[in-house]
Amino acid sequence: MGRRFFSDVVKFITPIILAMILLGCVRKDGNAPKKIAVVISTLNNPWFVVLGESAAQKARDLGYETTIFDSQNNTAKEAEHFENLIAAGYSAVLFNPTDAEGSVSNVNRAKQAGIPTFCMDREVNSLEGPVTQIISDSFSGCVDLGQYFVRQMNKKGKYVELLGLVGDNNTWNRSKGFHSVVDHFPDLKMVAQQSADFDRNKAMEVLESVLQSNPDIDAVFCGNDAMAMGAYQALVSAGKADSVMVFGFDGTEDVMNAIKNKKIMATAMQSPKFMAQTAAELADKYLKGERNMDRKMPITVEVVTQDNISEFDAYGSEN
Amino acid sequence: MPTEVKTNMKRPIKYFLIALLVGVALYNAVYFQPLDDRNAAKKKSVFDPDAFAGAFIETKLKELPAIKADQFLESLKQDLGQFTAEKGRKLGISNDYYFIVEGNARVLGIEEENVRISLDVENAAELRLATEFIFGNTIREASGMANIGDFQNTMDFNNISVAVNERVRSDIIPPFLSEVKEGDDIYFKGAVKVNTKKPNLENLRIVPLILEIK
Repeated sequence: MGRRFFSDVVKFITPIILAMILLGCVRKDGNAPKKIAVVISTLNNPWFVVLGESAAQKARDLGYETTIFDSQNNTAKEAEHFENLIAAGYSAVLFNPTDAEGSVSNVNRAKQAGIPTFCMDREVNSLEGPVTQIISDSFSGCVDLGQYFVRQMNKKGKYVELLGLVGDNNTWNRSKGFHSVVDHFPDLKMVAQQSADFDRNKAMEVLESVLQSNPDIDAVFCGNDAMAMGAYQALVSAGKADSVMVFGFDGTEDVMNAIKNKKIMATAMQSPKFMAQTAAELADKYLKGERNMDRKMPITVEVVTQDNISEFDAYGSEN
Repeated sequence: MPTEVKTNMKRPIKYFLIALLVGVALYNAVYFQPLDDRNAAKKKSVFDPDAFAGAFIETKLKELPAIKADQFLESLKQDLGQFTAEKGRKLGISNDYYFIVEGNARVLGIEEENVRISLDVENAAELRLATEFIFGNTIREASGMANIGDFQNTMDFNNISVAVNERVRSDIIPPFLSEVKEGDDIYFKGAVKVNTKKPNLENLRIVPLILEIK
């Protein structure tokens, strides 16, 4: 009787104790700062490092704990980060997606868990998932860059286009903006269009290979500055750096210096600092109850050339 | 009856039931549809920027609200910041504001990329009507013909600009350029961009939507 009674008591008490332990683990300290996750597509590119660090810094200034997650341009890795941050009870995500389509499910999962997402620089193909998307107006930037390109080329010549990641909408918005101008000039011939995944080393390899079959090009249009630097390196190796014009997009420090030194013709300045800070401010407002936000907020991009470089500083701060 | 015979009799029933289950499952899982119907349905769900731009050019231009060009210039000179903020349209976070303007004017000269005009008012200001290098979002933003928040993919939104610029290049400018000459009196309605950081009011360039030689 005694043993049975003891056994019943143990059976009754054990689940209660386990439940209390579990509840104790997830009990939130009312005074602890809320946490914001900063998920970045890749930290292998200085522009995205500035984006991530600026977002984290602004969120910290607003009183949040922050952690930066590097998706390494891999949607599977990104999904893993979202699983972890949902389990860890983050309050919001400042998100730079790896893939316009592939990242939608991650945003939706966070939304279902009650965690709002604020996209930075790159968009996802969903109006319902993220609270808002703060994106560069890449299309308009490349329309302006395209017009500058046409005038620098005197409306004729051969050129190569290096595309970014094919799954990223920015890649196509930039390319489309550029071609919406350049394709109206029949004496401008595109001899090759290849993806170099926004990567400096890959751009160098791709252009080296293109130069073997097309040694007489006049210009290279690159979907970002990292690829512009890679293309420039390939041209230096081929002894063509002085005769081939290179155009980039981003406004990174190395390309801004290269423009100052007359090595690269132009870039389009998009400010990672401004985008990141805007995203953090909007996340803060949202967490404090503000709900009236535009679904998409494009930010103007400005063309930086060898003539107006003195007006700008790297990563978007103006002189 | 021996057990083996019983089992042999049950086997056809078992196979029949399995076949029935597989049949029911496949019946709901696989269906056939003519390829043409499928493609037509797919096309219907894809946004068509050419049709969108065409409908705008063909039906909306005359009624499109516009500011008188002389009043527009005067207001910009008086208080650029306040006027652009109150009357202009802009896309997201930007210093670029867009307007639809109209007016009567005299043609001063026909240049490679523009037609230079003088407004038909006292102390007339000079303006430029773009006839080449018609690119970008000036018409889309000035007219408010589309809202970025309605487009899941920003490329669709940007394709509207590509399509509407193409219609201007093909339908509006060639018939005008083939007839216009210096000294002609004209009516124009068009879209214009003003950058508040670098206004450059002396060189404003209007992308034409309506051009009529009187």
